[in-house]
Amino acid sequence: MTIIKEVISNFLKKPVTLRFPYEKMQPVENSRGQPTWKIERCMGCNLCVNVCPSQAIELRGKGRESEIIYYQSKCLFCGECIDVCPTNAIHSISEYKTVFPEKDKMKKEYSRSKQNREIK
Amino acid sequence: MKTEIRIPFGPQHPDLEEPINFMFEVEEEYVKKVSVRLGYIHRGIEKLAEERSFLKNIYLVERICGICSFAHSTCYVQAVEELLEIEVPRRARFIRTIIAEMERIQNHYLWLAFTAKAMGFDTLFMYSMRDRDHILKILELITGKRVNYGLNTIGGVRRDLPEELQPEIFSKLIYLKKRAKKYKELCESDPLIQKRTKNIGILKPKDARKLSAVGPTIRASGIDDDVRSIEKYAAYDEISFNVITYKGCDVFSRILVRIDEIPESAKIIENALHNMPDTPTQVKTPKEIPKGETVSKVEAPRGENLHFLKSNGTEKPERLKIRAPTLANLTALCKMLEGANIADIPVIIAGIDPCIACAERMIFLK
Amino acid sequence: MELKILLESVIALLELFLFPGFLFLIFFSFFIEWLDRKMVAKFQNRYGPLHVGPKGILQPFADILKLLSKEDITPESANEIPFKLTPLLLFSFALTPLFCIPIISNSALITFPTDLVIVIFLMSCIPVLSFIAAWVSTNRFSTIGGTRLALQMFGYEIPLVLALVSPTITTQTFSISKIVEWQMGNLWLFLIQPIGFAIAIICLLAHLQRLPFDMPEAETELVGGWLVEFSGKKLALIKLTKSLELTLAASLITSLYLGGPSFLVISHPVIYFLKIIVCVFIFANLKALFARFRIDQFLVGAWKYLIPLAILQIAMTQILS
Repeated sequence: MTIIKEVISNFLKKPVTLRFPYEKMQPVENSRGQPTWKIERCMGCNLCVNVCPSQAIELRGKGRESEIIYYQSKCLFCGECIDVCPTNAIHSISEYKTVFPEKDKMKKEYSRSKQNREIK
Repeated sequence: MKTEIRIPFGPQHPDLEEPINFMFEVEEEYVKKVSVRLGYIHRGIEKLAEERSFLKNIYLVERICGICSFAHSTCYVQAVEELLEIEVPRRARFIRTIIAEMERIQNHYLWLAFTAKAMGFDTLFMYSMRDRDHILKILELITGKRVNYGLNTIGGVRRDLPEELQPEIFSKLIYLKKRAKKYKELCESDPLIQKRTKNIGILKPKDARKLSAVGPTIRASGIDDDVRSIEKYAAYDEISFNVITYKGCDVFSRILVRIDEIPESAKIIENALHNMPDTPTQVKTPKEIPKGETVSKVEAPRGENLHFLKSNGTEKPERLKIRAPTLANLTALCKMLEGANIADIPVIIAGIDPCIACAERMIFLK
Repeated sequence: MELKILLESVIALLELFLFPGFLFLIFFSFFIEWLDRKMVAKFQNRYGPLHVGPKGILQPFADILKLLSKEDITPESANEIPFKLTPLLLFSFALTPLFCIPIISNSALITFPTDLVIVIFLMSCIPVLSFIAAWVSTNRFSTIGGTRLALQMFGYEIPLVLALVSPTITTQTFSISKIVEWQMGNLWLFLIQPIGFAIAIICLLAHLQRLPFDMPEAETELVGGWLVEFSGKKLALIKLTKSLELTLAASLITSLYLGGPSFLVISHPVIYFLKIIVCVFIFANLKALFARFRIDQFLVGAWKYLIPLAILQIAMTQILS
């Protein structure tokens, strides 16, 4: 039978599973990850707020004084906001560990006056 | 003295992936009657679709099911494009074909693992899942994600397939074709698999037509019914392929149909990659869709998928109705289960490839 | 004189409780279960238990400890006294025959001229007790599991007894220790009676309810089979019983067909361990290779193939001796 040879030969090979958390799998180059903002380029056009399918972005203020609040708990990682921004202020990072103890803390704020400091 | 026991199967059961309730009336290890209850995982998707714009609905429709997500999103986008009466560029249609066939390969490996577990064959389950990981790696390289790709948009696709990825795709397809051939040899030569699946769950061709079975379930009864060759959506009018049928009408034929479809899909992908045209991948579309109603059909890995879309000229749809392939197979399943042995119930249920999350919609019974 | 008797009795008690008595046998069965899980995992191209202890060797012990700390529920409609008594009886019926198997030297802790018969009798009581446990639980799934267990007994009981008794015709004795001694002077019995060896392995797989014969506790069809209503301490005792039964089956094959702890002229426990590892390798290989039978296919196969082959083996042994 064909499977006997395969079963016995597997006895001598190395197992295929990755031993997480000691060995991790890295995401590829252009995988979709979380969006981050370069707040100096944002001009407050509201395009990313309108196009997000799950309303995960909020804009406060107008024009060059705008602040962005990004809710990590609602984001789908679809990348529509990255495609639609006219000044290329958004790009994606490949950080995949998003675990928080409380739901209220799952948001990030980007604003110019506090020198691009991200408050979690 | 009659001894009839009623056995509930589900909604929580180690054999089922999703909750559904079957109530069997059993007498001495044979099933006499069966009745089905749905509704445990109804999420209200058709109502939610009426409150979102056409573009945001793509992401909602994609998440109806995790495994056949690209088929749902292609079906919806084709319906909207038909209402708009625009022509999708050729390169976008070829890319949609390639990703749809890759999803078919991925689904058939997962189904093989699931059926082997239902028969008690743990080793084949582990081997199938190990091989499925290769195709998920290719999908991640092309689209950026392993499930729920987000590749379709109204008027084309969002990302292009670069030339540098082609050698890796070809080498992985050769490996997958080799593994599928080995599994077919195993199923044809192993006496225990044949004892558990031959002459089990018989569905005659007349019954299959009357009860409207779809997908590999009906192709294992000798009827060649495939939406890809009837409707010729996406790029299937330029690529030729074979429709695979077997005449056994039992679970063993369904296994063979699905294992044989894997090298066929690999051939379609290689054909499409060699003849890829050089056009843009997207056209611009307006936000408001004109009035009208349309039906669009797509061959999902499990069968025929149908979307009905009605629009009244605004930004949001008026009615979206989804009919998944599992819903069409459920009545055929009830017919197959009558007179079966208790030990064969998981094998028969796994034979139609159930995806209950796709099938939960509002049904009116009179 | 009295001091000598006192010293001998103290040593006998220590042997009974420590080595090779209760404690040693229980920890030995944990080791065998770890070995079995690791081997099946290697065949399927994955790791087995990995984190608890070095290379996961304490995993079965951790499982039993976890089960001892969980809540113990008795269903309302179950018969209380048999329900609470059967796990304890199962555990003791599985532990007692192990005292008659020679481990350190050519003679076991308890030997008398007909101890093979007592071992077979105690082994056959275990499925009967499991059937009582299933019947008393009053659950639909456990009733079906219990009837499947009783039906399975009809299939494998006769060839198992015939295969275990055919060594005694050649060696002219019913005591396991004497059979091991006979093999020290002559060839090992699996070379003389190969058909009996194969039938003993297949029927012992059916007795242990392992793949490919685990119909009574099929996970995907009946949620738990006959042990679905047990939880907490009772389930811990049942799991211990299963490990002990695996050790008992491997030990029987080693003593009756492979020569026990003897090799040419020496007999040492290390040789016994090596032979047990070979037996567990065979069992794990058969578990990884096959799917699960259906109960009526198994009965038809047992009466068509296993019983004639067992009778053929006995006839051949009579003719040749």
